Amino acid sequence: MSATIAPRKRLARTTGHGPGERRLGSMIVLVVLSVLVLIPFLFVLSLAFTPEKDAFGTVSIIPAHPTLQNFVTALVDADLGRALANSAVVAVVTVISNCVFAVVAGYAFVMLRFPGSRALFYVLVSTSAIPVSVTLIPLFLMARGIPLAGGNDILGQGGNGVLDSLAGVVLPYIVMPLNIFLARQFFESAPPELAEAARMDGAGELKIFASIYLPLARPLLAVVAIFSFTGVWDDFLWPLVVTSSPEVQTVQLALARFLSSGNVQYGPVMAGAVIATLPVLLIFLFNQRSFVSGLAEGSVKG
Amino acid sequence: MTAADPVAVARVPSALTQDSRRGRGDNSVGRKRKKWSRTAIAGALFVAPAALYLIIFQLAPVLYGLVLSFTRYSPISRLGPQPVGLANYSALFTNGAFGNALLVTGRYVLQVLPVTVIIALVLALLVNRPFRGVGFFRSALYVPHIVSLTAVSLVWLWIYSQNGLINDVLHTIGLPSQAWLLGPATALNAASAMRIWKALGSNMVLLLAGLQSIPAELYEAARVDGANRWQSFRYVTLPGLRPMLTYVVVMDIIFLAQGFAEIYVLTKGGPLSSTTTVNYLIYTQAFQYNQLGAASAMAFVLFALIIGFSFLSLRGIAGRQR
Amino acid sequence: MAVIAKRATRIGVVTASVAVAAALVLSGCSATSSSPTKDSGEKSLTVWFPGNNETEINLVEKKIVPAFEKKTGAKVQVTYVDWGDISTKLNSAFAAGTAPDVFGHGPAAAADFVANGRLSSLDSHVKGLSAADRKDLAAALPGGRVDGKQYLMPLSNQGSLIMYDAAAFTASGLDPDKPPTTWPALLTAAKKLTERDSSGQITRSGLLLPSQDIGRQQTFATLLAGAGGSQLNASGTKILWDSAAGTKALSYFASLYDEKDGVSASLGQDYSNAPVNQQPILLGTAAMAMMSSTSMEQVVASGTEKDLRVMPPLSFPGNKPAALEGAGPGLMINSDSDEQSLAWKFISYFIDSKVNSEYTQGIGAIPLRASAAQTSAVKNDPILQAFLKAAPNGTSNPNVPSWVQVRDIVDKHLEQALHGTVPAKEALQQAATEALPVLKANG
Repeated sequence: MSATIAPRKRLARTTGHGPGERRLGSMIVLVVLSVLVLIPFLFVLSLAFTPEKDAFGTVSIIPAHPTLQNFVTALVDADLGRALANSAVVAVVTVISNCVFAVVAGYAFVMLRFPGSRALFYVLVSTSAIPVSVTLIPLFLMARGIPLAGGNDILGQGGNGVLDSLAGVVLPYIVMPLNIFLARQFFESAPPELAEAARMDGAGELKIFASIYLPLARPLLAVVAIFSFTGVWDDFLWPLVVTSSPEVQTVQLALARFLSSGNVQYGPVMAGAVIATLPVLLIFLFNQRSFVSGLAEGSVKG
Repeated sequence: MTAADPVAVARVPSALTQDSRRGRGDNSVGRKRKKWSRTAIAGALFVAPAALYLIIFQLAPVLYGLVLSFTRYSPISRLGPQPVGLANYSALFTNGAFGNALLVTGRYVLQVLPVTVIIALVLALLVNRPFRGVGFFRSALYVPHIVSLTAVSLVWLWIYSQNGLINDVLHTIGLPSQAWLLGPATALNAASAMRIWKALGSNMVLLLAGLQSIPAELYEAARVDGANRWQSFRYVTLPGLRPMLTYVVVMDIIFLAQGFAEIYVLTKGGPLSSTTTVNYLIYTQAFQYNQLGAASAMAFVLFALIIGFSFLSLRGIAGRQR
Repeated sequence: MAVIAKRATRIGVVTASVAVAAALVLSGCSATSSSPTKDSGEKSLTVWFPGNNETEINLVEKKIVPAFEKKTGAKVQVTYVDWGDISTKLNSAFAAGTAPDVFGHGPAAAADFVANGRLSSLDSHVKGLSAADRKDLAAALPGGRVDGKQYLMPLSNQGSLIMYDAAAFTASGLDPDKPPTTWPALLTAAKKLTERDSSGQITRSGLLLPSQDIGRQQTFATLLAGAGGSQLNASGTKILWDSAAGTKALSYFASLYDEKDGVSASLGQDYSNAPVNQQPILLGTAAMAMMSSTSMEQVVASGTEKDLRVMPPLSFPGNKPAALEGAGPGLMINSDSDEQSLAWKFISYFIDSKVNSEYTQGIGAIPLRASAAQTSAVKNDPILQAFLKAAPNGTSNPNVPSWVQVRDIVDKHLEQALHGTVPAKEALQQAATEALPVLKANG
């Protein structure tokens, strides 16, 4: 039996070659790059603790008179707590819907082709090449006209549809086409023979997907989850347009409150940004272990 | 053991990436007529929810935008869209600003894409080991992608300002200050640097996932065949990474060609329009001048170019296989 | 097989329950409907404010609006949208028919809304004000007029004047109590105040005028007015900036950045929007700088020990002094609103002298009413006094449809002249050629 047919359970890792020198060398590179990459964020962090009137006064990373006032301002004045909750709800729904629908679709485009699937795939993915400026207003009109929502009748007239609600904020993100593309690319490198074998055993397609390929797709799910989460967490333009009430503001909208041209309040913006970054960082930390866990998984079946 | 036989080693990963019809539900190579087999039906069902959703909420607005590109339409007008035929498109030919924006966008993509991908690949390789604390490094490198663009661009503006961090450092070393965002020759490079910084983390994460989808058996087989590190990288890693690399390149082309946010916060398209990308023009047309029809026309020309470039790079990366 | 069915069902059940839970959460998290309440007879108003000044938001949401609600028994929903995005949000709302009853914007945007029939005329309301009120607001009202009719009610005045460092003046042999009154004299003074290092780079600009996008157009407008010229004719159908006055103004502007003889560094740098600790006049990288009243207030509030003063408007010899000053952002009424009279009540509440003083003081802007000069807040503030004194010499941008596009065209060509790639006269002519069709298409 060749190596490719046996079910693979151990995923790749670079074998520890040679002497510790090489490892030390890569460690140094890693550390240097990480520090360089973190510098702007370190300033964000520093400014978050700097009192307003000292902002951008000096170039030091450690603030001379650190304060927690900016965090208080950000949380209280911008109602950041509620904005975080709103963003969290939107993000969780988006992650789940993408992990379910996009991944399943990506799998099918590779493993379960049907007439026209290739064309359909390209059409769906190419829709992401149109700038938001052009689709924003049509989408807004559609959000307003959703039948039987927000006071609309069956033809979508009369009320406000899903405007000014979290459902409206989620609307464009239920399935992101690039996630389908991503899933497809991932499953392209999965061995198709496993499905053949299972089919010959009489298993149904859903079972094949769920019990054979889904467990292999942990890194994919991790990436889809992270990208869906960040995509929605960071988005500003759509929530801005679709919401008006403070109760449904998302995190980025709440932060924008401190940006007044000519009078930006740097402290609260930075403090708010730090607070807003933490959940995403946690999501990432939690998910990146999925990359590692693939390494640790031993062989299961022969 | 003899030295690695490149042919033997090269054969190993081909089963991975070759677009093999075997077992993918197409019912064998060579069949001219596609049939709606059991797997095909299952496939259609799997795809249906996502496809339906996208057709309604993604494709329909795009098609509406296409229709708008043949009209003159101000969102605040009571008249609605007014058909003008190809006027919006023909105006683009005489529009110097649009031509300039195409050049800027092209340059932007060409200078950011290779740099991010290569650096991200290096980073992914570096963090693809299960050593203690690897999580910290992965997170540190991912931070630029998740920190609020609004907040961090204020820091970048200051970093690049005449009395900001970079010029300060240059002064201490004794070098003259640079214009950075203010100089027509340097502004796009400065904006590119920030974009590269922002994109590193996400590309790294994708390539990491790609690296981890390569079966360990292939590396072992290569080692058994006597391949050294470079050969195993070239004949196992790179081919194995091909699908994910394709995705990264295509996705980056799509996003970079739509470059807008960093331009908006750093340079507002200047100086002397040296950083005005097509998407920046589209934005000003749509929301500052209320010319949604003209903006749509520009968007579809950009769309055609993005599709063209993506297709070329798809062929370029995957095509070598054939 | 039973196993398959169980697995499939399990997945199906999980997905379904997640979907149901999500739907519940989402629908429960929607805001109270923004459609007007028809049942209780209680009136409600939606208002969108541009800009995101924290003090302003707190003042408006926590003091002014609740007081208004108490007084009228109506409910007001206020949304703040930052300047960069208010147009986007308004465009979407108008396209879908969900625009608010009252919204704010800069005077430049009013003309486009008027041209599309989106605004209610405020003429009858203004006529309903007392004669004393109208006189008090006389300097501010014209900025909100389009085609001679009042459509926008400004909430403050805004403007830019030149702030200078008195100590720098003295050190260079200039008299800080007698600042220059003409632009040429200012340039002479600036040359004395400019400091360079050994490599010839300017370390302290003698004079800084805004040269970033949009800012440089405003600088040009100021210089042009001081040279006796104007940008458009009164009806907004002809371009007048390509006159001799225009060339004089732009040549002057460009000469500030001359390689050898210049007085300004950092062409294109947006110091107007920089953090207060990065203001050139505070850092000492400029001896004179044109700044907005808000900027000046911030600089003074930072506790600096520098003796910073404000110069009255300047002119080119033989012309009247001019400064960019006039109506600031204001409120407009949506012509489709069902609450026309309540909308006006809201606006008139904001221009009430006590409320307006509180409002403008909170945001550091120039008060709307001439009578505000008598309040202690203004009397004790030399900056506000300087601006109020300069108000009669104020000039502002024209209010014509597509002004934003025309302005951007001028701006682009001004930039080329400032960088020295195109001579001033040619730049203005090219701008005129490019802008004329736009003006005509929307006039």
